[in-house]
Amino acid sequence: MAQVRLRTLDANEVRDELAARVATAPQMFERTAVCLDLSALDKEPDIGELRAVLDAVRQAGMYPVGLAHGTSTVDALARSLDLPVLTQFRVQPRTAPTPVERKPTPEPAAFMNPTLMHHQPVRSGQRVYARHRDLVVTSVVGAGAEVMADGCVHIYGALRGRAAAGVGGEVTARVFCQEFHAELISIAGVFRVFETIPPELAGKPVQAWLDGDDLKLARVGA
Amino acid sequence: MTEIIVVTSGKGGVGKTTTSASLSCGLARRGKKVAVIDFDIGLRNLDLVMGCERRVVYDFVNVIHGDCTLKQALIKDKRLDSLFILAASQTRDKDALSVEGVKKVLDELTEDGFDYIICDSPAGIEKGAHLAMYFADRAIVVVNPEVSSVRDSDRILGLLASKTQKAEKGEGSVKEHLLLTRYSPRRVAAGEMMSVDDVKEILGIDVIGVIPESPDVLSASNAGTPVILQENSDAARAYEDAVGRLLGETIPLRFLEEPKKGFFARVFGG
Repeated sequence: MAQVRLRTLDANEVRDELAARVATAPQMFERTAVCLDLSALDKEPDIGELRAVLDAVRQAGMYPVGLAHGTSTVDALARSLDLPVLTQFRVQPRTAPTPVERKPTPEPAAFMNPTLMHHQPVRSGQRVYARHRDLVVTSVVGAGAEVMADGCVHIYGALRGRAAAGVGGEVTARVFCQEFHAELISIAGVFRVFETIPPELAGKPVQAWLDGDDLKLARVGA
Repeated sequence: MTEIIVVTSGKGGVGKTTTSASLSCGLARRGKKVAVIDFDIGLRNLDLVMGCERRVVYDFVNVIHGDCTLKQALIKDKRLDSLFILAASQTRDKDALSVEGVKKVLDELTEDGFDYIICDSPAGIEKGAHLAMYFADRAIVVVNPEVSSVRDSDRILGLLASKTQKAEKGEGSVKEHLLLTRYSPRRVAAGEMMSVDDVKEILGIDVIGVIPESPDVLSASNAGTPVILQENSDAARAYEDAVGRLLGETIPLRFLEEPKKGFFARVFGG
């Protein structure tokens, strides 16, 4: 059950803010049971104000089912509204940041993150994914293993498994490896399976990139 | 200090039980107090290879369930005084094992002053194999020089790096060693079999032993005598070397090349 900490008794404001919250994650908040925490309010509400707020919460799409345990006034309000007082929701001190205040954190922009470094061998059946960043593997990627990144994939060892760069659709991402024996290479969803490894690339340092819809491969540093 | 060593492989039939039996005998012969535990619940094999199948009264699952004490279930080897066997149950399945139960048994063996506890893992990557490796300090990954065995070993090495108590609690890592079995230098030379270097390159860990393909292994298993106890057997010598390396000795690998035939053998087709 979620807890709603009230900062205002303005029913319209409560309704708008909660409705916006429900809209951001309907599967999480829609028709969810909530417990109201009155401890962050400047003054304790009277019964009429609290009724209005309860209606506002309902209109926003949530179901208020109780009040968080607090002062004796809260107890009295709960009694007159026929609501339970829920003790497992402990009220927070006023200074604590309230969840209602928090804006949903914006998704970090792609490539702002430091590169994901992986120093152990990636073994058969293992999968390493670098979300919103590049991936560097300083060891080998075994047959049947998968390495993926939203950015580029660099492997400073043998690549015997699968490597996917630009998983989120970044078409400029590339795959680099020190020793090419890959099973599959994919960039931004365009992939190539290597049933037989081209002899001029086998065991060589290779890079793969996307040229239009074509996945290209060539030796690097040669 | 007690060291827990798991003998594992992923693939079946590569020689885990043969290896567990021989290594535990080899360690015991050097005066170490050794317990070897069969984790292959439902498919009792270790006791056969060790030649004590008729002396199994209580097994590993009985101890975990508290049906008997650990002392009652440990079978003392007839050949070596400091070697004890804990057999698997043939009538239960893998679900009879639990993390707490296994921990209890291993803790008790540690308290009893065992130097080495060898855990003979079942094939596969299911519960039995997981529990066999979970508390390990070291792992011996048994591998045959062929692609499917190498692939499965790679998978097991991945699990050793992530699904053991050491990995989960961040207390360092399980020390990993490769042990190649059924190695045939003749077939390697003919290009029919992967070489030690091929396997080592793919798996990227050190090799603790290479056991040559030998008819002695099968006859020893059938006789209930671990192959390491055979005399005049290359497989026995190779296992003895592996035991030495396990104890920290530096011993060069042997039996990697086909034995050269002597003059008379060449002339008379010996």
